Amino acid sequence: MNYRLHATRVIARRRIQELAISPGFYVAATLGLLLAYFLVAGFVRAVDSSGFDFRLHPVYDLLGRSLEGAFGGVVVQKLFAEGPFQLVLYVAFLPVLLFLAASSVYRFGLERKVGAVELLAYGPADGTSYFLAFLIKDLLATLLYLAALTGFLAAAAALHNLVLGPTFFYCLALLPFVSVAVYAWGIFASTLTDNSASALAVYLALLVFFLLVFLGSFTIASGYVAGLSTVLAWVVRWVSPLYYWDQTLRYAEVAAWPLFALHLALLLAAGAAVLTASHFILKARGVRP
Amino acid sequence: MSARLKPLAAALLLTAGLAFGQAPVRREQFIYSILAFNGKDYAATFARQGADTLYLVADVDNFLTVRNAFVYFWPITQDWKTDTSVLNVPFTGTLELSGGKLKEPRILTPVRYTYYNTRGEYELNWQVATGEEADKAWQKYQEVMEDYYARVQQYSLARGAYEVMLNELTLRITRMRDQGQDVSRLVEVLQSLSSPKEPEYPRDYLVPPRPVEEAFVLALPVGEYAIRFFTENGSVMEGSERQLVCFRKRRAEGIGLEVIPGDKWTRPVESTTPSSVLYVDGSADLYVRPFFEQEYNDLYYEKMQRNDARGNPNVMKWVRIQQVPQAGIRLTRPGAPSQVIQEEPFFVEQVKGAALGYRIVPFDPQGAHKDREASLRAFHLPIPKKEPVLRLAALDKNGNPLAGGERQVRVVGPARAGFVALILALLPLAVMAAVLIGRSRRVGS
Repeated sequence: MNYRLHATRVIARRRIQELAISPGFYVAATLGLLLAYFLVAGFVRAVDSSGFDFRLHPVYDLLGRSLEGAFGGVVVQKLFAEGPFQLVLYVAFLPVLLFLAASSVYRFGLERKVGAVELLAYGPADGTSYFLAFLIKDLLATLLYLAALTGFLAAAAALHNLVLGPTFFYCLALLPFVSVAVYAWGIFASTLTDNSASALAVYLALLVFFLLVFLGSFTIASGYVAGLSTVLAWVVRWVSPLYYWDQTLRYAEVAAWPLFALHLALLLAAGAAVLTASHFILKARGVRP
Repeated sequence: MSARLKPLAAALLLTAGLAFGQAPVRREQFIYSILAFNGKDYAATFARQGADTLYLVADVDNFLTVRNAFVYFWPITQDWKTDTSVLNVPFTGTLELSGGKLKEPRILTPVRYTYYNTRGEYELNWQVATGEEADKAWQKYQEVMEDYYARVQQYSLARGAYEVMLNELTLRITRMRDQGQDVSRLVEVLQSLSSPKEPEYPRDYLVPPRPVEEAFVLALPVGEYAIRFFTENGSVMEGSERQLVCFRKRRAEGIGLEVIPGDKWTRPVESTTPSSVLYVDGSADLYVRPFFEQEYNDLYYEKMQRNDARGNPNVMKWVRIQQVPQAGIRLTRPGAPSQVIQEEPFFVEQVKGAALGYRIVPFDPQGAHKDREASLRAFHLPIPKKEPVLRLAALDKNGNPLAGGERQVRVVGPARAGFVALILALLPLAVMAAVLIGRSRRVGS
């Protein structure tokens, strides 16, 4: 166990160094911050004497109408009740989350395919320590970016006389936990498949599936689609990070902090379960497909 | 237009005219008529044939009747309606209720009922009377109204007599004055005459009792039930099986604010989420009114009010219940002591000239607005652009802060300040450039 931990630490350090000297992470972070900038600026322009009105700005108009049509007016009202930052946080976080997850999935798949992992496995490391290193690297990069994003949004809020709002901080606290579960599914997809392209395809398909099932059960559409999504959501929710994310936010809304903490722990547990499954798959299939 | 196209255009116009003039198709259906208490009022709706679920607030009296009526879809408002003017046949029988925490099905019989809202300190004093109580309540209302109409009749007679006497005296005084006689005694009599006082409309009820009718009265605990209707001969009415969802509010300790901007008084907005922030551009003062609110499931609440409405089952929403009586607003500005604002009457004046629009001014009953009514009563919040943050707290009649009644009003900063944010957003690229340059130098050396 100590050997595995040591190997994980050494590989993770190497991965973090690689991330720091390659441009991908910086580009994704800049993209996220630029999106945040445009959304905050748009929000300010959509404020008049009676408050925020999404119809006053074309981007927010499109967004507001789409969300209202799909999820109802209450969702839109709640989303912007404290300001733009709840939406901005998610939108700005998405490029970095996807970049980190997708790059790890691709890299892990590629290194398994070419035999790099097998080479390491002859030494002190094994497949599990290898994917755990990826997870640690992604998690640290996520925390770093979230800190930068929070700083940026706090500065933007101060410049425009806005407030981040309590919901922003609940969401912020939640994101690292959701990220762990999302990254764990990436590792799972990599262990399940034989090459990087198929790993990436399976991973994206899984994410899209979780998203569609969650959104489907959340829409105000009635009839077959909503019914099917509700049934699927009931089945899928136990493994979907989005379900735990939604539940955690619900408990934050009513200040039920023990349940909030419990669902954060459940997010970690769901991630750990997926990693355990990945460990056994890797053990059964071997480090080289 | 060529001669060949003219008949085609005429045919198209004719078809379009026929299509738009088409009356909606009315279908005879078995329906459940629902009078549901929505937390502030009774809302009438109905569950048509395709509606498989009824929604009611738990632990309050709701009324259900079953009938045959014409049902049609009205495309203009996009909802289903009943046409009871042509067909409205109520059924007599019993309602079987099962599910929830009931161990065995319960049979409900129709009950004579009425409901009304009496005047009190708060707006909501709803009373439901059933059986003999309902008859008594209706009787009492009838008596109050009969008494009022009797007093109105007396007043009309007294007023008529007064006007006749007034005319007679006026004519006599005029005639005697023309003849040069002394009229001082008659003028004294005329001045001593007073007009009879008009009787006041009874103020006992905000909503008077409705005529006593029969219905199934349902006040059920939270749960999901099944209902079906049995006719008098004991058979189940076809198509009467429905689900019944009884739900309750999730939270009630919310205070909402109705916000009326000074330049758009016809477009008030509501701040319902307790943690919400009011962002404004500071171009107009605000007029606010605090109200009590309760939180319900969006889908359940919407469908309880209108059974064919849409809603989101995963979202809770705040619903306005009633204005906070005798409320106050504590206003805190940065670096200044708090001040308590009281509700005041205001008058809305139309702006003259090309500017159009409205202006809200303090109501002046002795001067400019004599013999007129105030347009609104609200708390006035001046919004100075120099003070970017105002903190509000709604207070009850004793001056204590109401839970969930805190808000911030923020005047948003100019958009040009965002340029600094743009530079900050590009910082990761600068870091990347520094890292790459540093690395290439290290590798090169």
